[in-house]
Amino acid sequence: MALQAASKVSMLLGQCVPCIKQNASKFKIKRLELDTNLNMFFPKVEYIYAHDPEKQCKTGDVVLIEQLPQKMTRLITHKVKEIIYPFGDITDPLTGKKCVVGKYREDIEKISKIYGELDSRFKYDEAPPRGWQEDKKDFSHVETYMKYHETGEDQPYSY
Amino acid sequence: MNNRLKFFKIFSLPIKNGITNFQIREYAFKSDLKIKWVRPEKIPCYKPEKSGDFEGFPEIDKTKIQLDFKECKELETADDSVKKLFTLEYAPRRATVSHYLYETTGKVRRHANDYGSHEVIIAKMTGVIRAMQETMERFPRNKKFKINLKELIDKRKKYLKYLRRWDYKRFEWLLETLNLKYKPMPLDVHWITRKDSLRKLTDQYCDNIRKERLENLKLQLQAEQPAFLEEKIRALEFIRDEQKDCGMEITVSQEEIDKVRNQLEELNIRNKKQEQEES
Repeated sequence: MALQAASKVSMLLGQCVPCIKQNASKFKIKRLELDTNLNMFFPKVEYIYAHDPEKQCKTGDVVLIEQLPQKMTRLITHKVKEIIYPFGDITDPLTGKKCVVGKYREDIEKISKIYGELDSRFKYDEAPPRGWQEDKKDFSHVETYMKYHETGEDQPYSY
Repeated sequence: MNNRLKFFKIFSLPIKNGITNFQIREYAFKSDLKIKWVRPEKIPCYKPEKSGDFEGFPEIDKTKIQLDFKECKELETADDSVKKLFTLEYAPRRATVSHYLYETTGKVRRHANDYGSHEVIIAKMTGVIRAMQETMERFPRNKKFKINLKELIDKRKKYLKYLRRWDYKRFEWLLETLNLKYKPMPLDVHWITRKDSLRKLTDQYCDNIRKERLENLKLQLQAEQPAFLEEKIRALEFIRDEQKDCGMEITVSQEEIDKVRNQLEELNIRNKKQEQEES
């Protein structure tokens, strides 16, 4: 049974991937497709561009996107409705507290307080919002490529 | 079969001089463009440029006391020559390395007894990697050592990847404090070939030409704009006058002409400004 093309579905949940387009974000949409011969579901990945003029989606965010009444361009068929899970900033749905892997952030701080916290520790309240290391030390927001030509200039995005 | 015969007939006809006198040769096609391709030099995986370290193993003050004897009370009252024997200078290299590891983990430690948090583990790996990179420079033929180093670098990268997913803010702070770089691998990795690189360079070359020509055309059209607008005003006025003279319905309003005049004035002002800026 063939799945309906992702660009024709009215609402989708996708993960943001690096994209150079200025007013749009690219989303990776993973759905399960039924193979009728084997009677098994297999993952099928499609990429969709959604209108995002302020570029509020960052790489890795899980975002709800909605179909536009009319195609904006040949590629842009959807628009961003809501960022559901910001990447690397997990909130526990039951208690509404922030957590890291299996522990609440509060608990981590409480533990270090008991042991006697040091100044070298990471402080959540003083931390700037995500993205302050972009283009400096963190290059995960761009598509990297294998370096294929020596221009003599620095190529920050080449691997 | 018939089709193939037809095809053969068409192409085996004696070609006269003129339009059809050329051959399409797709194989071994050589481009006339003067693009020079320089193959990038291979950087070994253990080098700081590849591993993502912005700094190497620093020079450590050798007059410091070894880590194990740092808080020894007897050493405080001891003779200077005895003290000297317990400095890093008279200890094996591993003492210097462990001193450096203590310093690096100290930058990110949560509390005094913190030996197992994510950031401390990554900091410790970073220290070990930097020390190993220095050794690697001295013994480049030590293959086992190289493998160990590469595996450690990959492991650190994996841990950084996990940390990024778990806690982005802490990940960025860690990159800043340890002076590390995080660059994910490209999705489609293929070894570098001459043909593929030349293709990409040709695409770039064509793009540049297109961009340049479009810009030139834009400049040319902008230069023609004032003359065109003047002509437009003249034509509109002429049409209006003719219509008036012939007693026909007047389709050109004064507003329309004024609009074009304003446009022309704005354009002239803008051009003057640009000239002043340039000079």
